[in-house]
Amino acid sequence: MNTRRCHGPRNSQEGVNLGPAQTQSPLIQLQDPQLTVPSLRPPAPLVDISNMSVKDRTNEFQSVCRSLQGRQNGVQSSKPALSAIRQHSDFNLLAKSIGKDLSNTFAKLEKLTILAKRKSLFDDNAVEIEELTYIVKQDINCLNKQIAQLQGLVRARQSQNGIHLQTHSSTIVVSLQSKLASMSNDFKSVLEVRSANLKEQKSRIDPFSQAPASSFHIHTSNFSNSLLMQDDSKKTAEVSIDFRASQQLQLINKQDSYIQSRADTMQNIETTIVELGSIFQQLAHMVKEQEETAEVREKWEDDRETEIIKLLVEMLCP
Amino acid sequence: MAASVRGKQAAALKRMLNFNAPQLKNTAAEPVWKVLIYDRCGQDIISPLLAVKELREMGITLHLLLHSDRDPIPDVPAIYFVMPTEENIDRICQDLRSQLYESYYLNFISAISRSKLEDIASAALSANAITQVTKVFDQYLNFITLEDDMFILSNQNKELISYHAINKPDIMDTEMEAIMDTIVDSLFCFFVTLGAVPIIRCPRGNAAEMVAVKLDKKLRENLRDARNSLFTGDNMGAGQFSFQRPLFVLADRNLDLATPLHHTWTYQALIHDVLDFHLNRVSMDESVGSEASPAGARPKKKNKKSYDLTAADMFWLKHKGSPFPEVAESVQEELDTYRAQEDEVKRLKSIMGLEGEDEGAISSISMSDNTAKLTSAVSSLPELLEKKRLIDLHTNVATAVLDHIKSRKLDVYFEYEEKLMSKSTLDKSLLDIISDPDAGTPEDKMRLFLIFYITALQPTSETDLDQYKKALLDTGCDLSPVNYIKQWKAFTKIAATPSNYGNSGVKPMGLFSRVMNSGSQFVMEGVKNLVLKQHNLPVTRILDNLMEMKSNPETDDYRYFDPKMLRGSESSIPRNKNPFQEAIVFVVGGGNYIEYQNLVDYTKAKPGKRVLYGCSELFNAGQFIKQLSSLGQK
Repeated sequence: MNTRRCHGPRNSQEGVNLGPAQTQSPLIQLQDPQLTVPSLRPPAPLVDISNMSVKDRTNEFQSVCRSLQGRQNGVQSSKPALSAIRQHSDFNLLAKSIGKDLSNTFAKLEKLTILAKRKSLFDDNAVEIEELTYIVKQDINCLNKQIAQLQGLVRARQSQNGIHLQTHSSTIVVSLQSKLASMSNDFKSVLEVRSANLKEQKSRIDPFSQAPASSFHIHTSNFSNSLLMQDDSKKTAEVSIDFRASQQLQLINKQDSYIQSRADTMQNIETTIVELGSIFQQLAHMVKEQEETAEVREKWEDDRETEIIKLLVEMLCP
Repeated sequence: MAASVRGKQAAALKRMLNFNAPQLKNTAAEPVWKVLIYDRCGQDIISPLLAVKELREMGITLHLLLHSDRDPIPDVPAIYFVMPTEENIDRICQDLRSQLYESYYLNFISAISRSKLEDIASAALSANAITQVTKVFDQYLNFITLEDDMFILSNQNKELISYHAINKPDIMDTEMEAIMDTIVDSLFCFFVTLGAVPIIRCPRGNAAEMVAVKLDKKLRENLRDARNSLFTGDNMGAGQFSFQRPLFVLADRNLDLATPLHHTWTYQALIHDVLDFHLNRVSMDESVGSEASPAGARPKKKNKKSYDLTAADMFWLKHKGSPFPEVAESVQEELDTYRAQEDEVKRLKSIMGLEGEDEGAISSISMSDNTAKLTSAVSSLPELLEKKRLIDLHTNVATAVLDHIKSRKLDVYFEYEEKLMSKSTLDKSLLDIISDPDAGTPEDKMRLFLIFYITALQPTSETDLDQYKKALLDTGCDLSPVNYIKQWKAFTKIAATPSNYGNSGVKPMGLFSRVMNSGSQFVMEGVKNLVLKQHNLPVTRILDNLMEMKSNPETDDYRYFDPKMLRGSESSIPRNKNPFQEAIVFVVGGGNYIEYQNLVDYTKAKPGKRVLYGCSELFNAGQFIKQLSSLGQK
């Protein structure tokens, strides 16, 4: 599997690289231990079933098979071995790669969450947070496009697929999209936390602020439409300064870049929230489509999730 | 047993759906898609525990019945959850030959026999699919959990182990053996899942004793088999706060036939009695406004609506054991609270709407504050919707129940029966009620009469009996149940100590003024507001005696089994002198919600004690009467 590189290489990615791809056997996949930030995956532990209230008959089954095989030794089966043949249709490949990328992005998001929660003034890895934010945003967009592509595949196959296969495929698409939506939601709340922290930092530094900077006004004009900035413009043209700078010139430079970065962040947050709205809309469309394709209904009824999502979309998108 | 049996069974199912590997909490793990195939037994087990949504979250894209046409879905593992019956095994072999899925995880609800395992092996061999059969497991989940503390045996083919099947006079030994084996198999699965080896107590001389003997034997054999024992390891010790073993009380339905016929007054039991309530799902016709008239013509075909009453429904959890008037009042309260919240959201919406059109006009309201409000309103929307759905659900259900109460005058029956069962003085004669054309269906009258007949201290004189019979015939009853009860009274010989139903008092409290308010949905006019006083039904009483180690002629004669002891299953002297903290009551021959509710109430009064209730089948009075009828016709 190729690691995703929709954007330019950034060295901050290394910390969240999750190692080489593994084979497709589901059992091995599930034996993976926690996928934490460190890059190397420790070897998978054996599944411990001694505390389970079930009885594993697999070994017994296999020994029965062997003994039966032994008896049939003379008679060669005319059928070719089936197990090796696995049809990896493009749908499955794409779905698997999306799944993998989702988990990668989620790990990155977790790291971002940890960083953004930090409230200290002095250890503010603004640069790293910025980068990570950008990466995650790109990832989300990329995933969104891929999922749309996947859905296209499903639609194209609609005529030739049996109903079960169709339901199976569309369920996968919806599930991926809703995972993406929930991840985007988390991302949005991380950004909100971040902006709240920035505001708090600013309020802590304000009492110590010195000369106002003229460059601030330029920026305010650009962002006058930004919802989040309106709040700040109500206050006086005080400016928060980088407390670490000692010289006046450095002060102004630093404060420029700080204001710039803050302003950028604010705008990023805003645009991201708008984009997220579109992701939710897509999800609602997909879910509606799935409703329309005949579904195999058994005893259980469908839940009201779809209706809730549609209503959410209505509320979000003006 | 710190976790409830429902929790344990749900956890076992989830583990199975995770390919029998312990679940990892990490949501960053890659999604794995799978298909779930089950038979009707498996469906009955899963559906009260896991909703479709939870299945989807675990990666199940499709859930299908075993015996249906299924398309091949290559590249996807399939998890099977079926009983190891002949037809199921055949169908699995057919699936293997048709190469429907990429790999097969076979989970059998109860243990599969060696010969059937060989059948699958040979089919796999001939289809060259041996490597595709990745895992074979015995899940030991052959019981259905309906509540945290209530379970029943399998729902499919329940007529094979019904009260009728066990008590019919022409039963053969082989049939009885088969029934006992079925029951014991399920109970064994139950204890394996629970992870505890109980102390068994049972009465002498009936089906309950047979079950106890067999269960003791099976548990004992399994414990002796050190290699294959299912009771070792962490399943036993971890998570259990009490180191004491639980008490398992086996009761026979014949001990108390009045309770299944009783008219009840608590919400869940009422729903089970008057509506179609099955595996936590209520089905009813959609009412189109007008109420059902008792003597009217058959209404036109209406839509059938089903509601699931689950543990996620807070109102249900709180009120399923409440007397009905309390329920009606609470629904009204919930509706009022909901309306207040809805208004709040609407108000916010209008503010936002205004804001959008008139930019800057309302600058005094802080923007970030409003976005925060909006976000919280948006996130509370699903909650509100869910609340509305539940209120609608309970309004519909409670209205349907109320219709039945009013048209059949169930409150009158309830009151009268309570008096009968507690030997209080009666203000009306039985004949009056039976002959009253307005009160109740013929079935209601038969129930009332049977309770009278069962609980009568002195045997009823022949003339009285004939009088009653004639009155019943006039109202259209079928008298076969009476024949059976007559026989039952004879052979049970409980006449010596008629089942004491305790001293219950039923106090009418007049009409509820609040519920009578004009805005209320529930007009309880003419319905008495009866308040239940706590009293112990026979099963509860027996449990109390055994659990608290009280000496009582009723239970002193009970047998004692301890599967962990080496020998000496004949000893009737309990080793354990301390009262038990946990108990499981199982009624062989069928049980119902009234008994369950009684046990729940009993347990509430004793903090620190836990009681589970189980029965071989769950029937309401109507279904029980049918069984009695067919027994009486033999």
